Amino acid sequence: MRIDVDALKCIGCMACEMACGYHRDDAFALLASCIVVYRAREKKDYFGVVVKEEDSLTIARPEGLEIKRIGVAEEAGDSGQKKEADASAKPMLLREPCDRCGDMKYGPMCVKICPVNAISLIEGGE
Amino acid sequence: MDFYHSYATINQKLARGVELRYGEKEASVLPRAPRLLRVPRIGVYAGTGTSHSWLWIVELFDRMSFYEVVFMTEGMVRGGALDGLDVFAMSGGDTIRIAEGLGPEGGRAIESFIRGGGLYIGSCAGAYLPLKSSKQHLDRFNFVDIKIANLSKTRPEAKRMGSKASTSYGCDFVYHPVREDVLLRMTGREPFSRFESFRAPLYGGPSMVPSGACDVLAYYDGFTEKTLFLVDESLARQTLIGKVAAARAALGDGRLYLFGPHFEHPLFPTANHLVATAIFWDMRKGRQSGGFSAPQAILEGPEKEKLVRDLKREISNSRIVTVGLEAIPVQWILGCKTYEPEKIRVFLEAIWKRIRVLERSRTICVQQETCEEAVAMASRVTQLLRRMKAGIDDLLDTQDIAWDLFDSLRGLTTLFLQMYFDSLGARFRLDS
Amino acid sequence: MDYLSSNKILIVDLETGATSEEELDDDLVSKRIGGAGITSSLYETYKDSDPVILGAGLLTGTLFPASALSVISAKSPRTGYLTHSPFTLKAGMELKYTGFDYVVIRGKSQKPVFLWLHDGIADVQDASELWGKDVWDTTDHIRKTMGDDLIQTLVIGPAGEEGSDLAQVCVNYWANGDCWQFGKVFGSKNLKAVALRGMGLLEISDAEGFVDQCFEIFQAIKGSALSGKRGVEDILIAMGESDAREWLAPVTHRHSACYNTPYPTNTFLYLSVDPATLTEPPEPEPGFMITDIGALLALKKLGLSAADAGHVLKACARRGVDPAAVAEIAGKAGQKDPKAIEQSLASMQGAATVPEGAKFSSWAPAQPIFGDFGISGEAALKDWWVRRQAVAYLFGIHPIFANMSPELSEEALLEMANKGAGLELSQEALDQAIADVCS
Repeated sequence: MRIDVDALKCIGCMACEMACGYHRDDAFALLASCIVVYRAREKKDYFGVVVKEEDSLTIARPEGLEIKRIGVAEEAGDSGQKKEADASAKPMLLREPCDRCGDMKYGPMCVKICPVNAISLIEGGE
Repeated sequence: MDFYHSYATINQKLARGVELRYGEKEASVLPRAPRLLRVPRIGVYAGTGTSHSWLWIVELFDRMSFYEVVFMTEGMVRGGALDGLDVFAMSGGDTIRIAEGLGPEGGRAIESFIRGGGLYIGSCAGAYLPLKSSKQHLDRFNFVDIKIANLSKTRPEAKRMGSKASTSYGCDFVYHPVREDVLLRMTGREPFSRFESFRAPLYGGPSMVPSGACDVLAYYDGFTEKTLFLVDESLARQTLIGKVAAARAALGDGRLYLFGPHFEHPLFPTANHLVATAIFWDMRKGRQSGGFSAPQAILEGPEKEKLVRDLKREISNSRIVTVGLEAIPVQWILGCKTYEPEKIRVFLEAIWKRIRVLERSRTICVQQETCEEAVAMASRVTQLLRRMKAGIDDLLDTQDIAWDLFDSLRGLTTLFLQMYFDSLGARFRLDS
Repeated sequence: MDYLSSNKILIVDLETGATSEEELDDDLVSKRIGGAGITSSLYETYKDSDPVILGAGLLTGTLFPASALSVISAKSPRTGYLTHSPFTLKAGMELKYTGFDYVVIRGKSQKPVFLWLHDGIADVQDASELWGKDVWDTTDHIRKTMGDDLIQTLVIGPAGEEGSDLAQVCVNYWANGDCWQFGKVFGSKNLKAVALRGMGLLEISDAEGFVDQCFEIFQAIKGSALSGKRGVEDILIAMGESDAREWLAPVTHRHSACYNTPYPTNTFLYLSVDPATLTEPPEPEPGFMITDIGALLALKKLGLSAADAGHVLKACARRGVDPAAVAEIAGKAGQKDPKAIEQSLASMQGAATVPEGAKFSSWAPAQPIFGDFGISGEAALKDWWVRRQAVAYLFGIHPIFANMSPELSEEALLEMANKGAGLELSQEALDQAIADVCS
């Protein structure tokens, strides 16, 4: 099971981020959420969602989904040589990974609260 | 059992002058012994080569109200600051850089401290440091006859996290078979006599094989669902299982506790409890209780308000930049350690969460010149972070800024935490 | 105020650069609720120093749907009395998390300054490097020098500095609901910008009850009349512009929402890049985000293409002028050439028409959008709009979304305020607060 995000459906409202923050802090705050709306390219209208899971980082960009295994060396194309896992798989290390809101009666709150159904829980791992 | 509360009660009562004995009444968390307890005076090493894990010791001490704490640089160690202490705690980092920073003089000072009855507590790099070694710099710290099991002439193939899977160790390689949680089995030796097994996190610490006389306190016993294998599982098993994870050794009148895993990690209460037990059990004996030696000025009123506000301003500015850096794919190699932006936040959060305590406090224990130094250093950290962010945005190399930043962060955090611990310690003493 | 609040009112004296703080009194909240209710009260207290007051609504920044709004309140040079302008996007929410619920900015600075609010700290900072920059460059400069791309800004451009009657306070890079010439007020105070960033935390009185109810309302909204609708185009269609989708299609990139608002009221137009582009464009400024529906509609009615309208609106935002006023003035002058409109911005004179006695910005369309509020008759519609806006400005609800969603009823808002903030607000108290803010 993992959280799946359709970034093209996403409207960048941050409801998921605040719901996750509430799950972590029992208050309204954004610093501990494991789902984050990426909104630093405001003038370019380029936004998406990043989800930190136990072993992976899901980066939902408008052009598609990328799942990075945290800290795992990857095969480097035709050479067959292993390359070092790049640092982009490491953001949000201080945040707890997604626990699917296991202790909440709502199920994953980000899924439930997304107004445009851009977030879903899907079977299968990476 | 809430270990933190138990130790906090002990420390607070001792600070107020209450007589407590090992294993009795409020001190029942400790093994029985016909001795009076007293407040331990502890040095925490935060000098060159340390990573951020000494902040886990800070967390442990804060939660357990160990407030007679001095944060030490290599200069302080060399300059004789260990003389007034009962305990010297050394956590993780780059062992060789730590040894190099301390130098022969630092090595002699630590040895003399332990031989004179002092207690050395080392985890991870702090555990490697006093093991016998012929390597340059490390050869000044040959205090304990224990061998490293995770040492190899060749670099084992990494399954993941290549930069963390092994590191040069002179001509050899120290390799780190797993990261995260491991299972440990106790041997039942005092003072670790109340648990059979528990978990602790391993982040590159040693797997040990004693060759001389020492007390084995715990063995590596297994892996958990959270264990991350950096090398083949069979090699990891061969390297760790049945090897020593925690040991106690004697040197002169003193003792060394060496922990492969980070027993001080804040998410592992049982391991934390064992650290506290070790401190009380083997802290330098024979001293008298007394007030803490460091004389401090008391800051209150508008001056105190201004100091807290000035620090809060800069830490807030720094945190804001750092949270923004969190999503940027960047890392720096400093020495043989890899640093990510998150590590910056670890330092800042250690300050931020405690600023509120000082905000509410009526007074702060700090010298005027320290106030100015702390604010200037906080401001410098903000400027370095902003330069770093601008450099990253412009695709520039920020390695030099990173060296400067992490050194400055360490210095700032040390200054702040000293003022925090001094202030809380003074408050407990005043309450008496 | 212990809940949904940082419990702080900040007082900034621009004359001296000094700041002070007051606690937010529970009684004041019980009486005036929040947002424009409390900024109005603070205005009365500080009106001798011609204050500009920022205020978050009682529910702003929470999980309550559309809790995106904060307000700027000041005496409008346009009307001569106290009026309120909404600010949304992520800036309304950000104010609540800076550690200040309300900010009273008094007096006039001797030199250009900007106010930096962060984590309960207020810094009056030198803005001499910013003075003379347009809105976009100012926000860029602040974000770059402070090292964070998520800093939210309330900012003026050259129009505000020059004291133009068209001057508007913009949010980050975009138009705002300021039709009151607050940009001119900022300029007269030598206040170039207010920069906001906070990582605070809001406690909730009955957290579980509050969040349960939020989810219920969200579910109701998901199944409501606005389901499947998107962006400015569907709002324009609901307002009678049946060809809006086709008109905008050549330049429409994506739609986005203000904080926690279940409808994306903002539409981004790509003006120099293929709007079908999904990857991050190399151009740093490929287009413009439409946040002012009225201004866009007025330019459409002038016969401009959507691309030309986008260019005009971008020029307005850079200069920091009210695009609705520009469109109205250009229309009255019969000016239909987009380039000519852009070129005339620096010298354009005049102001937008505002209804007699209006207190709330005409940024929110004067009619229900999508949702059926059961209103009939012009007078009833006018009364409904004023009351609906008043409610939005008190509780911190996105004022356009407030006109879309009957699910956000006054009853629901009161219940949520009581659960979240631990208050005992009644309908009578709300009626009185509305009357106070409208008087």
